Parts: sequence; structure tokens; C-alpha cells
Amino acid sequence: MTGEPREAGPLRLGRQSFDVHRRLVMAIVNRTPDSFYDRGATWHEDAAMERVHAVVEEGADIIDIGGVPAAPGSEVDVAEEIRRTVPFVAAVREAYPDIVISVDTWRHEVAREVCAVGADLLNDTWGGWDERLAEVAAEYDAALICAHAGGVPPRTRPFRVAYDDVMADVLDRTLALARRAADVGVDPARILIDPAHDFGKNTWHSLEITRRLDEMVATNWPVLVSLSNKDFVGETLDAPLTDRLAGTLATTAVSAWLGARVFRVHQVRETRQALRMVSAIRREIPPARTVRGLA
Amino acid sequence: MIVSAVLCPSPPLLAAELSGSDPAAAQLREACSAAVATLVASAPDLIAVVGAADRTETWPEDAKANLSAYGGLARSDVTHPAPLAVGLGALLLDENGYAGPRLLRSVGYDEPLSGCLDLAAEISRSAPRVGLLVMADGTARRTLKAPGYLDERATPFDAEIQRAISDADLAALHALDRDLARELMATGWPALQILAGAFGDRQVSTKVRYADAPFGVGYLVAAINAAKE
Repeated sequence: MTGEPREAGPLRLGRQSFDVHRRLVMAIVNRTPDSFYDRGATWHEDAAMERVHAVVEEGADIIDIGGVPAAPGSEVDVAEEIRRTVPFVAAVREAYPDIVISVDTWRHEVAREVCAVGADLLNDTWGGWDERLAEVAAEYDAALICAHAGGVPPRTRPFRVAYDDVMADVLDRTLALARRAADVGVDPARILIDPAHDFGKNTWHSLEITRRLDEMVATNWPVLVSLSNKDFVGETLDAPLTDRLAGTLATTAVSAWLGARVFRVHQVRETRQALRMVSAIRREIPPARTVRGLA
Repeated sequence: MIVSAVLCPSPPLLAAELSGSDPAAAQLREACSAAVATLVASAPDLIAVVGAADRTETWPEDAKANLSAYGGLARSDVTHPAPLAVGLGALLLDENGYAGPRLLRSVGYDEPLSGCLDLAAEISRSAPRVGLLVMADGTARRTLKAPGYLDERATPFDAEIQRAISDADLAALHALDRDLARELMATGWPALQILAGAFGDRQVSTKVRYADAPFGVGYLVAAINAAKE
């Protein structure tokens, strides 16, 4: 069960601390030849570093580096995942001493290697499949994302998944993971929860967890959402991969309004703009310039 | 005695409210509906629905699929939730206006072959003229985009199911490798065994109305009728 909400507080990532009203953009940088959206655009290190420069310029707060696509496909073993991610994490750390570096992995062996070269955050999208991941986060004082994948093994697609109450399951699993992470020594200020749209969910489920995101926010664990160009957007709008930005940004705005604090995205500039709009509507930041009717 | 049978798959998208206007899903629903219409038209004394589920069990006659678990709206008329395959079979009967007696049975994923055959015999004895609606799926690994990703063995596995039914060689379904079925996520294996045993040694005529895998899962819709003596 969900228990009493914890006290809301700043989110600590690396050497930085972000208060509860900050909305952070996490830019996806895949070191894969076959991820669903970018199709290998940043498979080569030079191209990947170019993307890092670009997304930093566009205002990314976090760089999320992944070496294994979420979809099933050719095997990527531990050694290969390390080969894809570790040198690149080291290179990004050297180029940007203060940027928050996240690594999208479910494997503790990989986590240990990337933390050793400067990763600040472990993005465990597959929902605690490898229990030792949290121990590595504790060991390196890294942050940890506790996601809901419905208990399915990594790199599997949902097949007729059913939930009595999908949000209840999301809360049960993510809060259990968060509590366990804290128990093994992860700094509670460095733990986030993620409903993980599309993971172990059909489109109806992903829409429902969006609609009910305030229930996750009410726990006061910082909520991350990963919505970018996903199939639930594609199915909702009957839109191909190249035409999902509007749907992604609409979902981003709703999630931000409901209190999500971190947004994992492909399009940094557009997301940043959408989030600034939400922040201004909520009067958390002023508009950039206001002369209309005021002159 | 079982006089006629229909085979349909049991994906949640068989419920129109879950899949909206997807044209491939609509085509599948039409094929299922047309097949079930022939079953209803054969005027059986009773229609038995069989689908694979966690365990072998008899469900209340008014049991329905709990579509809210798959994202549908919660409905107050689902007083007795049935397992997916059984519930979707009941839905097909409802949609075809069938109001006669029905027997809703699930067969466990792990039910041994002998148990499947016992169940077929039991269903056969349940009325003088029984119509059988078997809800069973092929593999879920037909394509790269399939739920279980591509496995090259999936297409031949499904093709053998189709061949056995097209050729009215139902006994051949008994030879489907169960372990392979599990690997290929062919959840319909035990329900297919009931179809294989439904007509005993009698001759049957068959008609395959639909055989495709638009979402990477093998769907087969067919009608099987006992040949006239």
C-alpha cells in the first residue's frame, strides 16, 4: 500500500539541487544503432557528442545515455552495453563537468562502470529487474529512477496486459522500489518515480496513468515522465513516428500541470517551451516579455 | 453431441470499445462475428464457449469479460468476470443476439492433453446438439513488431494449425508441440486440443474464414461442422 506521503523536497542530482517547482528536461542520447525514434542517429560517438552539445544549448538539464533499445531485438550483452556507454559517459563528463548525466540501464554491472566515470543518475526503466542496481546507486551516491514496467522482463512488449487498477499497481510497485532503494542507502532526495508509459501497458493504460498522474505526485516523490513520441501517442492520434510531437507536447503540458518534475524527451527546445508555458500559466515564472496592452 | 464448432482468436481488441476504428481489428471482428452467426444459425440446444485461462473451470452463464482491466470503462453489468478468452466468446454470442443456453468453460494453460479430451467429451455430453465456440490464438511472435518479437518458427507453427483445420484433419492438432507453443506464446494450445477432440472420429467439413497476423499474433477464424451422416 502507498502509506503516508513523504515530505516534498528538493531533488538532488549530481552536485545540483532542484526545488519542487523546477521542471527539468532530460535529453535522450542513444548509443544504439536501432532505437525506435532516432534509428541510430547518434550511434557513432561523434554524432552523439554533437547531439549533447545541441541539447545543452537548447536547455537540457539532464543527458540520458542509453546503450540498449527498449524494444526486443538483437542481444546487447553487459560487455557490449558497457562498451557503448562508459567511454561516452566519461567524454560527456569531461566536456560538461556540471551537467547531470543519467544512464538508462537495468544492469548493476553497467551501473557500476558508468557511476565510476561520472554518471549521476541511474534510469532503471525496467522497474527493478536487477535488484542490485539500487545498491550501486547507494554505493556511488547516485540518483535512481524507480519505474513501473508491470513486472515484465526487460525488452519485452506488453501482451494482453490487464490491471484491476493500473494506477494502484504503478503506485504499489514504484513506491516499493523507492522505499527499498532508500533502505539500501540511496539518498531519498535522489529517488524519482516514473509510471513508464507504454512499458507493460496498452494505450488505454498509458492514458489513464497520465490522467491520474496527480496520484503519483501526491506521494511527494519527484515524478519523471517519459512520453516522447511513444506508441500511446501514435495510437491515440493515429500518427506515425514522425508526427507525434504535438501529441507528445500536449501530454507533456498535462503532466506538468499535474505536477511531473522531469521530462525525458527527444525534442528539447520544444519541450522547454511547453514547460515554460505551463510554469508561466501557474505563475511560477514570469513571461519573458510583456508589452501587449501594456504600452 | 457437438454438431458444429467455430474457432476465433481472443485478443482484447475483439471488443470494439478497446480498439476503436483500427481497420485490421474491424476486419477481424467481422470475420469472427460472421462465423459465430453461422454457429447460432445452426440452432444448437446449447452453445459452449471454451478458452484457455489460468485454470480449468466452469463459469456462470452470465459471466462476461472484464474489459476495464484492459482499459475499457468499468461496467456495472459485469457481476461475474470471466477470463479474457471465455469472456470474449460470451461477448461474440451477445453481439450475435444469442439468448439460448450457454456453457462457459475455461481450460487451464497447463491442463494435460487427457484433461482437455475429458473436457471435450464432457461438453459433448451436455446436450443432444451442442455448438462449440473455441477461443484460441496462434503464436504471438510472427513479426518484428509482434508482442513477442519475431521467431522464425512462428509462421510454420500457425500454418500447421491452419492446414489441419483446412484439411479437416483435426487430430493433427494433437501433434502441436506444447513446449514450442509456450515458447511462441501460442496461448490457444489447450483450447485447440478441445477442438481437436470435439468431433471424435466423425467426418467434418471446415471453412477457414480468416487467417492473418496483422499485429504479429496469429489469428484464425474457422467453422467446423459434422458431416451429414
